[in-house]
Amino acid sequence: MSRDLISGLFWLAIAIFFSIEGLIHLKLGAVRQPGPGFFPFWGGVVLGLLSLVLLLNSLKNRDRLSLSGLKSSKFLLATGAILAYLLLLETLGFVTITFLFLFLLLRLEYKGWVFSAVSALGGAVSSYALFQLWLKTQLPAGPFGF
Amino acid sequence: MSMEIFQGLLYGFQVVLQPINLFYCFIGVFIGTLVGVLPGLGPAAAIALLLPSTFAASPVSAIIMLAGIYYGAMYGGSTTSILVNIPGEAASVVTCLDGHAMARQGRAGPALGISAFGSFIAGTLSVIVLTFLAPSLAKVALSFGPPEYFSLMVLGLTILTYFARESMVKALMMAAVGLLCGSVGVDSISGRYRFTFGIQTLMDGLGLVPVIMGLFGISEVLLNLERGKQKQEIFATPAKGLFPTREDWRRSTLPIMRGSVLGFFLGVLPGAGAIIASFVSYAVEKKASKYPERFGTGVIEGVAGPEAANNAAAGGAFIPLLTLGIPANAVMAILLGALMIHGLQPGPLLMKQAPDVFWGIITSMYIGNAMLLVLNLPLIPMWARLLRVPYAILFPFILLFCLIGSYSVTNNVGDGIVMWVFGVLGYLMKKFDYEAAPLILAMVIGPMMEEALRQSLILSAGSFTIFVARPISAGFILAAALLLILPLITRRREVAKAWTSVPQESAE
Repeated sequence: MSRDLISGLFWLAIAIFFSIEGLIHLKLGAVRQPGPGFFPFWGGVVLGLLSLVLLLNSLKNRDRLSLSGLKSSKFLLATGAILAYLLLLETLGFVTITFLFLFLLLRLEYKGWVFSAVSALGGAVSSYALFQLWLKTQLPAGPFGF
Repeated sequence: MSMEIFQGLLYGFQVVLQPINLFYCFIGVFIGTLVGVLPGLGPAAAIALLLPSTFAASPVSAIIMLAGIYYGAMYGGSTTSILVNIPGEAASVVTCLDGHAMARQGRAGPALGISAFGSFIAGTLSVIVLTFLAPSLAKVALSFGPPEYFSLMVLGLTILTYFARESMVKALMMAAVGLLCGSVGVDSISGRYRFTFGIQTLMDGLGLVPVIMGLFGISEVLLNLERGKQKQEIFATPAKGLFPTREDWRRSTLPIMRGSVLGFFLGVLPGAGAIIASFVSYAVEKKASKYPERFGTGVIEGVAGPEAANNAAAGGAFIPLLTLGIPANAVMAILLGALMIHGLQPGPLLMKQAPDVFWGIITSMYIGNAMLLVLNLPLIPMWARLLRVPYAILFPFILLFCLIGSYSVTNNVGDGIVMWVFGVLGYLMKKFDYEAAPLILAMVIGPMMEEALRQSLILSAGSFTIFVARPISAGFILAAALLLILPLITRRREVAKAWTSVPQESAE
């Protein structure tokens, strides 16, 4: 399976979804008075046709599936950390979750407990000072009030 | 020079020279240079991050600062390209070629110097042209109806896909995906919800800030993490010797001039922009040179031209925004959002309705460019030291900034999730050779395009001939059609060659 084949199928599915949704659930309307489904439907059709072109091309000149160096552990850890940050942000509060987040990621790539802990604490406090106190961004407070 | 422009300029300077606005301008260009220097954090993400912090400021101050981040980044990006051979910012990708080669020969100083001076000259020239062109274009734009807007946006998307790095089919696909993404949320004409799946966050549509931060910020970090530790050679800059020699100047003058003109016009075209301008300038200089074979080995023309071009493009990009209300690229899209948040409607009427903003932005760029020139050269040693901070320490903070930025626009965790989704999508897109730029531009102008299309069809009672029956619209459509047909004949060899001759890192 080539990369274009996989991704082409993915986009084809997206295209079919938008077209059907535009055609059936939203209304296409008349050409003289286009409805809410008109644009998504035709957008989906265009995407679908282009996907087909890509698929046909990929069958002709097949490149091998080489996803260079997928080190899945780091990828999963980083994406997991971002998701966890978002899900816990409003329960734990900005400073606490930011400290944990920075600490985990600094440890992931860099050695040294003390260094990671100190920089994570410094990062959490100074970003709080910068965004909450100076720039007046509304950051969520946790059980401790920050 | 018409009286009107002169008065406008005078008024603009009165606005900008207020201490508070000078302060915001300085902060803007300083942060811009910083994010330009730092690889993996571009101007789009930075403007998105700082947008919420401008809510308290006056519209003029806010826009002056946000605009400063944009052209400031064009200055900063070259520093990283020259010293580390990694583009700090996508528009500085080509600068790596000859800029870094010059650094290897111990000529980092003149390379940095000529990019700062070249940027200043081009930036200033493009603001001058902007000053004279914007008011008259705004008047022309008043005669644009929905068909003209629609055709122009079609042309913009076509230009962007024409210059695509990989296959044009894939770029067109991304434009289509962007249009579909843009249709999420409330339909502006019928008021119906589309593709929201009952999710609160999607009711207002996909947020531009989280999508940009995901596609450009998060995905970039994920890719860099995977590449792992690379030994990077950072060239120490001599404290003196930043000034190019007389010979350097003689060789750079024409490239800077050509880069300025080219950059400005490519900047004005929606869809082209600073990145493409720098590539085209490099190609032009190579063609014009008496010794094209020496390009890539540290020729100063290869630094001067592209660096001038990307700055001129940054100025030119304000034209469609200020006169038509159409963003030429992702950064302009966020600025458009910023103007609207501050209660302003960019477009042909902006000059009349908010002259302080219109002239304030333009004149702030004269001041900002001068600040950058003064600021940049002495600060280069500091930026060089910053570049020594290992990525392992840098990346958690880049991620944190993205998280804060996506959250703080609407104080909604849902937007953070949107960013996460687009971060993973952007990562996969890179793996599968898709580009994010057409998606972003299409997503932004999608709702405008749809409205223009539907209004045009209502106007014409359902006849598509309206797009070719009106001369201006027909011109846009014809140009777009040519760009679509051209690659079938020429196979876009030149464009592809320009892209492949450049290091692959952080292309956005």
